[in-house]
Amino acid sequence: MYFFYSLCICNHIGCMRSPLWLDMAALVRALRAGRALRGLGSVAVQGTVSPQCRNARRGFHCATLLRLADDSKSGTSVPPPSFHEVPTAGESSSSSEPSEDGQPNTSYQDQSGEHGEDYETEEQLQVRILTSALEFVPEHGWTVEAIAAGAETLGLSSASTGMFNNGAGDLVLHFVAQCNAQLADTLAEQHNLVQLGQAESKEMAEFLRDAVEMRLRMLIPYIDTWPQAMSILLLPHNIPDSLKHLSTMVDDIWYYAGDRSTDMNWYTRRAALTGIYNTTELVMVQDSSPDFEDTWAFLDNRIKDVVNMANTAKQVQATGEAVVQGLMGAAITLKNLTGMNQRR
Amino acid sequence: MLRGSQQTILLTAGQPCINSISAVPFVRGYSVLPPTNDEEEKSMLHRMMRVDHAGEYGANRIYAGQMAVLGCTQTRPLIQEMWDQEKKHLSKFNEILGDNRVRPTLLLPLWNIAGFALGAGSALLGKEGAMACTVAVEESISEHYNSQIRTLMEKDPEKYTELLQMIKEFRDDEMEHHDTGLEHDAESVPGYQLMKAIIQTGCKAAIYVSERDVCVCTDHLEHKRAVFAF
Repeated sequence: MYFFYSLCICNHIGCMRSPLWLDMAALVRALRAGRALRGLGSVAVQGTVSPQCRNARRGFHCATLLRLADDSKSGTSVPPPSFHEVPTAGESSSSSEPSEDGQPNTSYQDQSGEHGEDYETEEQLQVRILTSALEFVPEHGWTVEAIAAGAETLGLSSASTGMFNNGAGDLVLHFVAQCNAQLADTLAEQHNLVQLGQAESKEMAEFLRDAVEMRLRMLIPYIDTWPQAMSILLLPHNIPDSLKHLSTMVDDIWYYAGDRSTDMNWYTRRAALTGIYNTTELVMVQDSSPDFEDTWAFLDNRIKDVVNMANTAKQVQATGEAVVQGLMGAAITLKNLTGMNQRR
Repeated sequence: MLRGSQQTILLTAGQPCINSISAVPFVRGYSVLPPTNDEEEKSMLHRMMRVDHAGEYGANRIYAGQMAVLGCTQTRPLIQEMWDQEKKHLSKFNEILGDNRVRPTLLLPLWNIAGFALGAGSALLGKEGAMACTVAVEESISEHYNSQIRTLMEKDPEKYTELLQMIKEFRDDEMEHHDTGLEHDAESVPGYQLMKAIIQTGCKAAIYVSERDVCVCTDHLEHKRAVFAF
């Protein structure tokens, strides 16, 4: 029994920079568990607990067994520990690290989090950590320190940054995805209002302008550190993800702007808007005008350019067709004159 | 998905040309593609629709090519009738692509030129040549639709009822064109078997390439949105 207590404590002391109060929490939990296990009087459980706690996924097993013990004995509203969704291979490979720190602590610290039957998946936990890490970005920049600070506000050890293989890249990609989701939701809401007739529909150029402005305004709280984030997104291993986020966002904007094209226009429009967005973003990071007026003026001009180009393209096509018809007419006239057009 | 939304999006003049916003005489009360959250299924359905759209687009261009050459002859009404049906199919697929946010294939300009060239080239061999081309192409397309029907039936006939119905209807139309072509002396063109073999190989290659048209940056990370939705 006492071997079991000491083992659990050793788990925590063995971890890096684990605060003393977390060890105390673990001790109290271990004591409760010990009482519960004694109450169960099951030698088999005691016997298997310690060796199981020793293997690589000991956090997971420890937590599960403790939960079982707690549930059966105490019956109080102990918040169940976070644990991974069991089967997915993709998550299990990265789960052995976080189980070290995340698991034994969160069940006790996660008072404000998931109570009752909802268990948090690893992905959801990561999302929570990254979201809380965003507050520390102005202070620490887009770095692992910010993630560590975010983890600490949630009551987790700062070593839970080990969960994030990509470090700062994960944080930036999370932020980008969050902004895009917010944008998509807002656009969908506006679209619904227009469909219900409760709002006026916007002209296309105006819609694009407003959508890009809305999305870029989400960068304003982080604008000082945004160049760092942009350079992180340009790292080779982040490029596929960042491109996907960008293209999803651009597709969303065009869809809600009313584009239903099914030919090359689909591609040219998205390429044009991608160019507009990227150049406007670059202008924004070095814009020092009040409320970024220069940026919005730049955006306006770029969108006007694109609309002009589209109109010009249409005109060129119309002219081209007219010219071709003229040439055909001239050719037929020539054939008639030279007598080549006679059917014999 | 947002059905019937096209008509309520008002656009003033002087904007970039948006085709397929104009009124299309089709029932909008139902959605042909079943809504799904499964990524794999969605990408499979999108791929199917992309290939079918490319196929109908190509067929349209083939008839356009044939019409360009034989437009002033007796076969004009025949070609026109078959072309009109293909136009109907194409507009149906345009609608599906728009409603379901399916990306059209990047190779469309290629099918544009290739289709027109094939149609015009075969029509230069006369009416029989044009009919032989029609027979070969329609046979390939029917085979393709049949294999899609088989795939969907194997997966879940209940779920894909509307989609199956639509594909079956289109396949029947294509078979009709095939039979029409045979009726109008397709087989009497010199080198019929050779021509048919070449055209069918070309069609198979086109379908193969279109199915593998993968645009890495635009295949969306839909599941990332789901994480925020919890």
